[in-house]
Amino acid sequence: MSVDVVVTGRGVISSIGESADAFYDALLERRSGIADGVAPCSAFDPESAMTAKEARRLDRFAQFAIAASDQAVAEAGLLESGIEPERIGVVIGTGVGGLETLERNCLAFLQEGERAVSPLFVPMMMPNAAAGMVAMRIGAHGPGFSVASACATGGHAIGEAKRMIERGEADVVVAGGAEAALTPVCLAAFKAMGALSKQGISRPFDARRDGFVMGEGAGVLVLERSDHARARGATLYGRIAGYAASNDAFHITQPETNGRGAMQAMRGALADAGARPVDVGYVNAHGTSTPFNDRIETLVMHGIWNGDAPPISSTKSAIGHLLGAAGAVEAVATLCALQREVLPPTLNYEQPDPDCDLDYVPEGPREVGGIELALSNSFGFGGQNACLAVARA
Amino acid sequence: MNEQEILEQVRSALAQIKVAGAETATMESSWADLDVDSLDLVEVVRILEDHFGIEIVDEKLDGVATVGDAVRLVEDISQEGATA
Repeated sequence: MSVDVVVTGRGVISSIGESADAFYDALLERRSGIADGVAPCSAFDPESAMTAKEARRLDRFAQFAIAASDQAVAEAGLLESGIEPERIGVVIGTGVGGLETLERNCLAFLQEGERAVSPLFVPMMMPNAAAGMVAMRIGAHGPGFSVASACATGGHAIGEAKRMIERGEADVVVAGGAEAALTPVCLAAFKAMGALSKQGISRPFDARRDGFVMGEGAGVLVLERSDHARARGATLYGRIAGYAASNDAFHITQPETNGRGAMQAMRGALADAGARPVDVGYVNAHGTSTPFNDRIETLVMHGIWNGDAPPISSTKSAIGHLLGAAGAVEAVATLCALQREVLPPTLNYEQPDPDCDLDYVPEGPREVGGIELALSNSFGFGGQNACLAVARA
Repeated sequence: MNEQEILEQVRSALAQIKVAGAETATMESSWADLDVDSLDLVEVVRILEDHFGIEIVDEKLDGVATVGDAVRLVEDISQEGATA
């Protein structure tokens, strides 16, 4: 593809910071948002980003999306740029949508009957609510929809937004993911699957890892055609140089034993970027802290780099697993790593596992010079994988 | 129950759903002035139904475009109920 896609705005709502820079500063300070086995965005005040009535009519996941997209849109100077509304798209995904709204209304229905169900139930719960509200907020008339691929949602949203620009359907796409699934039923469900850490500790790649810790939040990027961004003098925070997606076609929750699907996505993203494995200076891992993922992700790294893998670290060690928002927030971390030339650490990594023998940046942050390209991995339940190749602007 | 009491309840219903300017809404305030849409109206109607113990069928809402329209509708339905 001859069309370059750059990043001109970034937004993050996370348990350790609300803005791309505040979030990345916190990562470099080795701060953790995890307490009592979850990583909630406790400091988030929806009314700092919207009116009380708007907040009341949005599920928490959409509130996160609005707040993060406001940051990204402001950073990009999008509303002042005079871009034709028809040329702005919005692709914001979520793993599970308005779960809090769903649970509250189900309970009301069971306890009090039909009349207790809110007329706002559907517009608050539906997964595309966030993308729709963001489009309304900025007056974006270009293509828009939500993406749902569980824990790979954020990666797919950004990748598909890149494709939308490459295909000429938009000059700018506001893209990312949002999740607010720290509800009693959802936590019980992940616990029942055996996916959650019993110790409540996110320690990716450590020998004692026993599952993930759930977090919440949102990540949103403003993606823009490079010549368009340069012509209007926008600040460039990096480039989405490559993207690929794949299916494991193996199991609904377990990653494929040999990592074939993950490897296909990573190799595909490199090919899409016109790059070779040796060009990659850093990998932001999917790194969930589950026994399966971290072993297989390591195996895939060996398969691609054959003993010469670049450093790889997991953002989930600090903020837990943001499900549908994970890939988007981690794309922001990857952009910041390249821009600042400092790699974020993997927290809580103490006991090496013979099956996980890469450089996980445990002592980080680590200053690095001259890295031009990084990968951001996202592997979802359903066996759906996305990989972004992120480059310096 | 007088008009003023019903007006207070309509204001209260608007405030419960966080409509800006609910407390100062007048009989002349329109839904458009208050940025009240069809979903908001469903909620307002439910709150009023519960408070006054009445039923407001959808057909009765045709042409109800102001706070005053809503107050008069509640008044009419309440009186119908009282005389039935």
